[in-house]
Amino acid sequence: MRNGTSATMAPLSIAMITDFFYPNVGGVENHVYMLSANLIKRGHKVIVITHSHAPDRVGIRWLVPSLKVYYIPFVPIASSATLPNFLTFLPYLRTILIREHIHLIHAHASLSALGHEGILHSHFFGIRTVFTDHSLFGFDDAASILTNKLLAATLRHVDGVICVSHTGRENTVLRGELYDVAEDGETWTIRNHVYVIPNALIPQHFQPGPQSNSDTVTIVVLSRLAYRKGIDLLVAVAPRICKAFPEVRFLIGGDGPKRIDLLQMREKYQLQDRIEMLGPVKHTEARSVLIRGTIFLNTSLTESFGIAILEAACAGLYAVSTRVGGVPEILPEEMISFAEPEEDDVFRAIGEAISIVKGGKHDPILAHNRIRDFYDWEDVTERTEVVYDNVIKLPHTDIWQRIQRTMGLGPFAGPIYTIILIVNCMFFLFLEWWLPRDQMDFVTEDWDPKKFADFVMGEDEHTQVGSTESIP
Amino acid sequence: MGDSQKILWKRPAHPDSYIPPNSFLSSLRKNPNFRPYTYWHVVALSLPATQQLATIFIFLAVFRQLNEGTLDPLFLVGATSVASVLGYSIWVAQTWLGGGYATLTLAHCGKHLRSSILIFLSLLVLSPVLKTLSAATSSDSIYALSAGLFFLNALLGDYRLGKVAPQLQESLISVLSMNAAIASSVVLASRLQQDVAVFALILFSVQVFALSPMLRRRFQHTSHLRFRITSTMVLTSAALFLSAFSFPRSISLLFFMTFAAITFVAPGALIWAQKFKNEIRGPWDVAVPKVN
Repeated sequence: MRNGTSATMAPLSIAMITDFFYPNVGGVENHVYMLSANLIKRGHKVIVITHSHAPDRVGIRWLVPSLKVYYIPFVPIASSATLPNFLTFLPYLRTILIREHIHLIHAHASLSALGHEGILHSHFFGIRTVFTDHSLFGFDDAASILTNKLLAATLRHVDGVICVSHTGRENTVLRGELYDVAEDGETWTIRNHVYVIPNALIPQHFQPGPQSNSDTVTIVVLSRLAYRKGIDLLVAVAPRICKAFPEVRFLIGGDGPKRIDLLQMREKYQLQDRIEMLGPVKHTEARSVLIRGTIFLNTSLTESFGIAILEAACAGLYAVSTRVGGVPEILPEEMISFAEPEEDDVFRAIGEAISIVKGGKHDPILAHNRIRDFYDWEDVTERTEVVYDNVIKLPHTDIWQRIQRTMGLGPFAGPIYTIILIVNCMFFLFLEWWLPRDQMDFVTEDWDPKKFADFVMGEDEHTQVGSTESIP
Repeated sequence: MGDSQKILWKRPAHPDSYIPPNSFLSSLRKNPNFRPYTYWHVVALSLPATQQLATIFIFLAVFRQLNEGTLDPLFLVGATSVASVLGYSIWVAQTWLGGGYATLTLAHCGKHLRSSILIFLSLLVLSPVLKTLSAATSSDSIYALSAGLFFLNALLGDYRLGKVAPQLQESLISVLSMNAAIASSVVLASRLQQDVAVFALILFSVQVFALSPMLRRRFQHTSHLRFRITSTMVLTSAALFLSAFSFPRSISLLFFMTFAAITFVAPGALIWAQKFKNEIRGPWDVAVPKVN
């Protein structure tokens, strides 16, 4: 019935649960959307469950490749995340999961309270759970300690964990306590359900621009202008580069609290004609900014994956980046120059990049082609499917096992989370009585991509899922 | 490198859940900046805190004596004034010996003298007001409030050691600490019977909580461990001696136990707790940019 399903994998009904989704725009949002779109293309049924957005984005909406989105009427508290409360999501979730015949939920982002709650509740329905962690966290500040404990408690119940880089996996394994310590207290064994699947991008959106023959070397910076993006380094290095290399221009896109520092630097060194500040740049306009340059500079102080660097490399730019987080994993050495997060070393790396670019040792077209092969959504989707397949085959964990796992969290957190688990069980039984399954409004008809394709065929060929990105 | 396995740009030969045996957590560092404390070092560092507590206990004993009428307020005023002059001379001598002629000229000294006379007189004028300021409040509340304020004073005190430029302004925290102590003595003063006793107590509190810490800190920055030990011994024994005369024996015992706990037991507890130290550092930490 469905077209494009791989031979080994029966079509699944998957619910993506996250606090971060369109109409907000960002890395996680894009990842969830693209993954869903490609899973639909491979014949699965995918829905997204997220919180509502003011003023009126609430209820059920459809996004372009037949992706159904449930906007639950929850109010976000900070940075689009909802308040973790372990209870109130269950009535909504139960109804949605049952009426949509969901087999598997996939939660995204470790600060998404909805995702955590989805993982905690899903086992009531025998539904398997997968969790993708998109960011890195430290261990030494109060916020990290609290959120890491929440994550550890949630990951006791998860069937599969996906991280976007090897560094991210190390971080998540430590934060989520996904290891078993042997009797002797020395040997660690990492649980075997933690996967590394990188992000991907749409190479067609980042075609290199036409080759220019001018001597000018333009360095592009495209990032949020905030402390964590290392803008202090940029402020320190830019005047030195301008002095040392008269042919260099800077093109800085983005907005944020550190913008004022950049403007002051430009004023102080009289570099108005050398440093151009673009202000906020939309993601859809990123390519048009990128292709104006030849070198992409990223000075981040922390980065779990660094998709911006990939997009730039895909658009044919040579990359210069600080050696932080997962960045060293994403590109081969000959496409990127690394610097320690120190002023002198960033200066050295940019100098190196300028000589490489001017020496003609970097071929934009070749770089684009390589990225196109490395980071492909279809490949990512296939690898995610393997995770789903492994997870679906896992045996069911009964409630007693779950209590034991939860008690293993520690002398204080263990009993607290066990109480939450038991209260949730009772709440679930109450809901079963209060809203019996036979009175539910089941979804009987799904979007049929084939019918839709036939309908559109005559007018346009724009049915190819994945290349049609829609931001509502 | 050891990092050769950690690449995302090649299609992996293993399943995605495969963990390379040697490279996993290869860049994890545990307790990278950890320097274990030694017991006597921590004891030496705890001495300023003990001194501060001793000062508070001395003040409480003096208050008790004034309240009971066993200490003549005029004697206290005299002693305080003499001590102030003495302390100021030491302070000046120490500055000059340290080569600070330029920072402390005779004109400065004149200014200091003028302002101290001004404070003296205004305290004298204000003492009847201070006496009735919180007279309507019940003694229970006053004692609880003053205990809280003294606790704040001890908590926020500036116990740092080491070289600090003498001109450097004191931190906000230590100013708060001093204010808490002065406020506490003001509310305590309202329990006294005579105006002159109120005046004596406030003068004494300015002396012990505002002026003497300046002198003490000066010496802590310039002098050695021997001075710190000596001044702690003098202050604690003075506190114990005075409390033996003013309070029941149980209170003196409590003071003594507090000193012992702060100086000897608490450092031991810190040393013991060190073995639980487990700081994890890795590539996921936010880097600290180094800008020249």
